[in-house]
Amino acid sequence: MNIILVLIPLSLVLLAAATWAFFWGVNHAQFDDLETPGLMPLADEAPRERETQ
Amino acid sequence: MDTAICFHCGEPIPLGTRFVVRVNNREQPVCCIGCRAAAEWITTLGLADYYHLRDVPAERAAPIIDFGAWDRPQLQRLYVRDHGNGCAEVCILVQGLRCAACSWLIDRALRDESGVVDIAVNVPARRLQLVWRPQAIALSTLLERLARLGYVPHPLDAKALDTVQRNEQRSALKRLVVAGLGMMQSMMYAVALYAGAFDGMDPLTRDFFRWLGLLVSAPVILYAGSPFFVGLWRESRARRFGMDTPVALAIAAVFVASLIETVRGGAQVYFDSASMFVFLLLGARYIEMHGRHRAADVVDALARLQPAMAQRRKSDSSIEIVGTHELETGDIVTIDVGATVPADGVLLSGECQVDEALLSGEAAPRRRLAGESLIAGSVLRSGPVDLRVVHIGAQTVLSSIVRLVSRAQQQRPRSMQLGDALATRFVAGILVCTALTVVIWLQVDPARAFTAALAVLVVSCPCAFALAVPAATTRAVAVLARCGVLVLQPDALEKLVRLTHCVFDKTGTLSCSRPTLQEVHAQAHLSAHECLRIAAALEQSSSHPLALAIRDAAAALPTLHAATVHTEPGAGVEGCINGRTYRLGHAAFALQRSGAAGDDGVVLADAFGVLARFEFRESLRPDTRTTIQALRSEGLALEILSGDEPVQVARIAKILGISKFCARTAPAAKLAHLHELRAAGAVVAMIGDGVNDAPVLAGADVAMALGDGAQLAQASADIVLAGDRLGAVVDARHVAALTQRVLRQNLYWAFAYNFLSIPLAALGFVPPWLAAIGMSASSLLVVLNSLRIRVPVTASEGVAQITLPAEAAAV
Repeated sequence: MNIILVLIPLSLVLLAAATWAFFWGVNHAQFDDLETPGLMPLADEAPRERETQ
Repeated sequence: MDTAICFHCGEPIPLGTRFVVRVNNREQPVCCIGCRAAAEWITTLGLADYYHLRDVPAERAAPIIDFGAWDRPQLQRLYVRDHGNGCAEVCILVQGLRCAACSWLIDRALRDESGVVDIAVNVPARRLQLVWRPQAIALSTLLERLARLGYVPHPLDAKALDTVQRNEQRSALKRLVVAGLGMMQSMMYAVALYAGAFDGMDPLTRDFFRWLGLLVSAPVILYAGSPFFVGLWRESRARRFGMDTPVALAIAAVFVASLIETVRGGAQVYFDSASMFVFLLLGARYIEMHGRHRAADVVDALARLQPAMAQRRKSDSSIEIVGTHELETGDIVTIDVGATVPADGVLLSGECQVDEALLSGEAAPRRRLAGESLIAGSVLRSGPVDLRVVHIGAQTVLSSIVRLVSRAQQQRPRSMQLGDALATRFVAGILVCTALTVVIWLQVDPARAFTAALAVLVVSCPCAFALAVPAATTRAVAVLARCGVLVLQPDALEKLVRLTHCVFDKTGTLSCSRPTLQEVHAQAHLSAHECLRIAAALEQSSSHPLALAIRDAAAALPTLHAATVHTEPGAGVEGCINGRTYRLGHAAFALQRSGAAGDDGVVLADAFGVLARFEFRESLRPDTRTTIQALRSEGLALEILSGDEPVQVARIAKILGISKFCARTAPAAKLAHLHELRAAGAVVAMIGDGVNDAPVLAGADVAMALGDGAQLAQASADIVLAGDRLGAVVDARHVAALTQRVLRQNLYWAFAYNFLSIPLAALGFVPPWLAAIGMSASSLLVVLNSLRIRVPVTASEGVAQITLPAEAAAV
């Protein structure tokens, strides 16, 4: 059971890291608009249609 | 092309129009030059994918406006924030920004411009935040790019850059996530502890897990839960116990008790319950906050309708572009077609068509003649015209509407105050109950006293009581505002349901406010047409309703010119045409003798006698008939109280089938009649134009004003039908009835839930975690139930929704 003495502090470190990352995201407007970014990757699919022009 | 829908904006293409644009080697039809330009430009930028990505058609491209004025330092001072390192930032409300594809398009089109440092498009807020180098590219160029894409940019106050709303939303999200993460962790440790309690666990490991629970739940309580403690502090200082008091007390009690148990190695800890409680409550509040922000958006959108720029005519009649805030009363401004009227004023030149959708809810443009007033925020459809500014800034009708709406949103109706009082007393009751629970359990089984007391505190839901009324009322007010019914006195909604009598004013309420010329009885050598031309010439500069009717009727005839026109207020007008003097007005005035046979007609006369008699007639509003039928079928007694002539009133009453009517009633008599009805136990709604009959309206249970533009601002009424649509009365009643029903359900639910759950909790049957879920679910149910309030589909058919350009669609 001694393994929990390593794993639990590790999970706490991960938790702190996740919280920090989330705060960073919120402060940098990552969560203000949840719709648009989802479309951004689609834009790069487009060249096929542009080639036909 | 078989399809007649514009490829760009999706609007039907007018017959005979043939504009085509090539997109991806296919010819696509478009409806106008603006849309063609927008589509072509989008294609040449290689951004044709926009048409695949979007899920809502674009706004019809507006004619491109000159944005040069935005480079003026006076304006930039207000709208642009200087970063100091050669960069500047501006926040732009983008009209027409509807879906994610729009934001993609804007981002792509602007990012490639040299000088643009950063772009952030926010679709839900319909805002664009732009950081750019003013030395490299002018703001006007960037705005013009936006306009060419078919969007209408409105730069916003620099203050909007760090909005209260955004900060509130961000901090709420952070708290929610901290609570969520902390809750999951502390639950994991709690599971370990439960397992340990059954299978045996040495005290050292147990304490280790308890300290861990404390570690992860401390941020949840102290950081995520801080709004509750702030609320408790506020409420206890105001000595008014609200929702935060029991919540904060329960959280604090659970946490402190668990802390003590942890330190001294006691029997049980509740870190998981405390965190879960905070998380669930924050979740409910997060949803509620979203609703509130959306409601605020409506007011915001109204306020933004005022343009930032105006074209002022200088004394040498050249035009300078100034900020709207620089305008002063008496200035002459020129407004182009498609532009928004910057201030309330009087139309100077000719006539024009204006779109007053913000006030009338009708997209169909209205005709305005010289001398009539235009209101800020309406959009010019034909022109250009000159306007003499009368009201600016906070005195405009638009501003007063914004004030009315926001005042109505802040006002707490009597029913809501009642709900508050109920909640306060309920909280006091809960605290007593908790104390009793502790005392009794201490006698029976001291070990369970704490758990049971906790469960009582947590399971009781004053939120359901406190939210029952405001949730329903706020929703109803918002729903009605969207179809042009402004509820200024939320109390009126409740009375609207109990209505027994409906009393109408006639002119301007059942009938259109502007009469039409019905017939010209020529009585001498001149033909009816000749007489009409003469009359129109005499009335050329008057804004009297009858004068407008005469000019309307004569619009198709060649115009005459009248010289030395002299108006006798309240009597008529006198003028000289081709050397002959004519008089138009009351018979007594026109014939220059007192005591002439007086009726309500208007007479045209020359020195020799009567030339013609003009007969006017009021036309009913298009929706009067259906509204009256609908109200009658709901069992309401209908009456007409009018100050007008008996003949006219009887005619209208007969058409509508209303048997009770009083004509030629003075305001005092109207008021007396209302008092009589109310004394007999009737609940009376009076529907009038709200200005002339303000004292009468005040005498009714529910005062409704039906207004056309400018008058609304002064209307003294409980409910304003801003749509200028009588049918809104029926809608308002439907919504009010639904609101009462929902409100009652909410209260019943809150009562039933608390009545059942509190005894169970006091008896020790409810574990704290279940109590937390029950409590949150209960308040969520109240909020969700209130969301069911909407304008019934049957009633809203043909409803011209108030279209705030771009905003309304998304709100």
